[in-house]
Amino acid sequence: MALRIEKTFQVSAPIEKVWSLLSDPTKVASCVPGAQITEKIDDKTYQGSIRVKVGPSVTDYKGEVQILRLDPQNHEIEIQGKGQDVRGRGSASMTMTGKLAAPDNGMTRVTSTSEVNVVGILAQMGARVITEVSNIMFEKFSQNFQALLQQSADQPAVASAAVTPPEPIQPGSIAWQAIKGMFRSLLQALKGLFSAKA
Amino acid sequence: MQQTSPEIGGMGHSIKRKEDSRFIQGRGNYVDDVRLPGMVYGQMVRSPFAHARLKSISTEKAKQLPGVLAVITGEDLAKANLAWMPTLFFDKQMVLATGKVLFQSQEVAFVVAEDRYTAADAAELVEVEYEELPVLVDPHKATDPSSPILREDREEKSNHIFHWEVGDKAATDKAFQNAAVKASVHAVFQRCHPAPLETCGCVADFNSATGKLTIYMTSQAPHAHRTLFALVGGIPEQNIRVVSPDIGGGFGNKVPIYPGYVCSVVASLTLGRPVKWIETRSENLQSTGFARDYHMTAELAADGNGKIQAMRVKTLADHGAFNAAAQPTKFPAGLFSICTGAYDYPNAFCEVDGVYTNKAPGGIAYRCSFRVTEAAYLIERAVDVLAQQLKIDPVELRRKNFIRPEKFPYPSPLGWSFDSGNYEAAMNLALEKINYQELRKEQAEKRAKGEFMGIGISSFVEIVGAGPAHTFDIAGIKMFDSAEIRVHPTGKAICRMGTKSQGQGHETTYAQIVAQELGIPAADVVVEEGDTDTAPYGLGTYASRSTPVSGAATAVAARKIREKAKKIAAHLLECSEEDLEWEPGKFFVKGAPSKSKTIQDIAFAAYTNMPAGMEAGLEAVDYYDPPNLTFPFGTYICIVDIDKGTGEVKVRRFIAVDDCGNVINPMIVDGQIHGGLTEGLAIAFMQQIDYDESGNVQGGSFMDYLLPTAVETPHWETDKTCTPSPHHPLGAKGVGESPNVGSPAAFVNAVVDALAHLGVQHIDMPITPWKVWAILKEKGVVS
Repeated sequence: MALRIEKTFQVSAPIEKVWSLLSDPTKVASCVPGAQITEKIDDKTYQGSIRVKVGPSVTDYKGEVQILRLDPQNHEIEIQGKGQDVRGRGSASMTMTGKLAAPDNGMTRVTSTSEVNVVGILAQMGARVITEVSNIMFEKFSQNFQALLQQSADQPAVASAAVTPPEPIQPGSIAWQAIKGMFRSLLQALKGLFSAKA
Repeated sequence: MQQTSPEIGGMGHSIKRKEDSRFIQGRGNYVDDVRLPGMVYGQMVRSPFAHARLKSISTEKAKQLPGVLAVITGEDLAKANLAWMPTLFFDKQMVLATGKVLFQSQEVAFVVAEDRYTAADAAELVEVEYEELPVLVDPHKATDPSSPILREDREEKSNHIFHWEVGDKAATDKAFQNAAVKASVHAVFQRCHPAPLETCGCVADFNSATGKLTIYMTSQAPHAHRTLFALVGGIPEQNIRVVSPDIGGGFGNKVPIYPGYVCSVVASLTLGRPVKWIETRSENLQSTGFARDYHMTAELAADGNGKIQAMRVKTLADHGAFNAAAQPTKFPAGLFSICTGAYDYPNAFCEVDGVYTNKAPGGIAYRCSFRVTEAAYLIERAVDVLAQQLKIDPVELRRKNFIRPEKFPYPSPLGWSFDSGNYEAAMNLALEKINYQELRKEQAEKRAKGEFMGIGISSFVEIVGAGPAHTFDIAGIKMFDSAEIRVHPTGKAICRMGTKSQGQGHETTYAQIVAQELGIPAADVVVEEGDTDTAPYGLGTYASRSTPVSGAATAVAARKIREKAKKIAAHLLECSEEDLEWEPGKFFVKGAPSKSKTIQDIAFAAYTNMPAGMEAGLEAVDYYDPPNLTFPFGTYICIVDIDKGTGEVKVRRFIAVDDCGNVINPMIVDGQIHGGLTEGLAIAFMQQIDYDESGNVQGGSFMDYLLPTAVETPHWETDKTCTPSPHHPLGAKGVGESPNVGSPAAFVNAVVDALAHLGVQHIDMPITPWKVWAILKEKGVVS
């Protein structure tokens, strides 16, 4: 199941500050719900894990994160993550390109483009569920990321792992929110239909 | 055929199904109802990957969980030479994976625990390390040099399984060269699954004191399965007893032997305790025998008037990871060569290639006599495309080409001898009932207003009742079938069969055959099936073969009994046999009807007052080898209306006219037609076991693989014509599959007909609202 996910959000911090977090995989991982970096292999390679629970299905992906490209000039980073579920429920891989831009309003715009490939039990749920799950995860990520920016502004020395412990998002909530998300898009589609008719 | 009284309830009486009183009270005895002392539970560990190398399996954590008794892996089975087992079609398949896995949900390990919950928890603790391999999903790419070779166990390093062809290629090609009109259609009959209400399962019970292994299992063919267990497992056959209890739907899904059965047997042999294994719904959909997955191209050659002259068919069959098709040995594509249909033309050529892909194994006959459904769908679609091309009404094109009634027995260009038929009569009845001409007028008016209405016709022919033993066998065992009737001293009877009902109503219909032939009321006849220790040997129930084969055996066995009964009657009435005449239920002296002996009197005498020198008892057994197959047929007409806004297709009316020869129980036939039409509706509009590019199953639960409920199901109208089979003792033909075989083309033809004026010639199933809406959008009907 291959998916392409594009997301953008804005944070109220200068671009260099945002870049210092975005270019550090341990910090980025600390913002991803359920994820953690367990070991640094070298400057570009890390080992980590992520737990995703959708309804009754828990998947604990364990694998490697690698920085494929780091471009401080243009504030671009390309990361590849690959993992297999420890109980053999499947695998997932993701190539994410993150990019920063500074519009004139003093904010920093974060744009990420991800190619995600999921194989196994999770993938059987189909794109409609996976997309919603990734939406929820990303929303949570951007909140965490902004919180981290805030905190690092106050206390620059705090280790990122202490800031947000690797808590997976609530199992019940993720399934429920995914369903809500599906209904929301359905409602929007219906609204579109009616307004087109009107 | 002599008419019996309602009290006797022979053929033609709509008596209520005997089995239903226990079913509707929830008191059936299905395999999951079997509970034995000391019974433990098995759970499969399955592969999440469609193609991956097994790097390691660690069972330690699972074994440490309290309550876990054993964890079996492929390596364990390999030590007993049981890691692989033969399929029913010249292939082998893994019981538990060794080396690599070849489809998602493939069986990797089997956990046995004191209770089902512990077994499920322990299965999660089995740690399997995989190395993912490139995946082959598209059957059209199977023989590409760039595609991975899936089956490393085979000598032939290729994903190609077989090439099979039949017919006169040269003559057919020539007919095409000279044809005024050629029509062609590429139609995919998608991968679907029977999804029986009850999933597969078993209880294996090895008694180490007696050495006897009893396997309660969801089996449509208990005797054949016993023999295969004996041959493959090396257990003496007299020590194996297979019991098929009540079965909640089979539809071909319960013909193969699955790894779960084998693992349960191995576990019971090892632990000396009964082991129960029951599939979940998703396990059933994802790993057990799928149906169809035929990628077909049909061409028809015709003259300018629409007289068909030849047919050419090329098909690619996707068999998944193992060729686990349940098919007669000589027929790698089953009876697909029935694809010439109800039409009379001299030339045809058909070729089929089978390939492996990283999908669940199978190719089973889902409510189908071995690929007849695919064949009927293909020819009925092709005929409509030809009609569209010739701008002839599809009814007229069919009428012009039907095999005439006087031409039977009809030798088909692909080698079958159709026993009997009157195709036009069935079509005329359907047209009359649905008021066809009025509908065409209505359609024209609707089109003028921009509304979409379609009329679909399907005049199918089936080939069922395998089969003559000289041509048909499953894994070497000839396809006869059997019945054994014992009449008790008080005139009641028990009838035991080589077949096995999965809901078809055998306990009623076989009793009606005995009633018809012996005059013993059907209510007094018990029918027993499924226990290999008591029933006579048979090949089981699938491919609509119960009535054509075992039904015939029942009639012949009853006639043997009647012969003996006649001798006893002559003895009792002190006359010669020649002086006696039979009417259902009694023999009487010709010209003196008051001098008579009922079958009950005779039965009592068979045990108390038999003629000197005669063996006691009144019983008979028959192993029936049919001289030919039977060829049921019919015409189905479907009317649909399409909602432009949503693309939803609504079936407004559906009329099914079936001809299955003489009918045993009209109510049961109607029930079969209703059920099969509902399945056909689901296939046409809702169902597909799809895979994404990584081999993830996309139809692996009822969330994605939809079943029609009463809400989606239209009102079915049924009727019948009757053209008896000339060679069947009762003139019957078999009917269970007709609606599933005949209806998909009627649904699709109706939708295509609704859109034909836009230039649409074909739409592949399932015809979802999205597909229809996309066509309407592409054609500029909606924006």
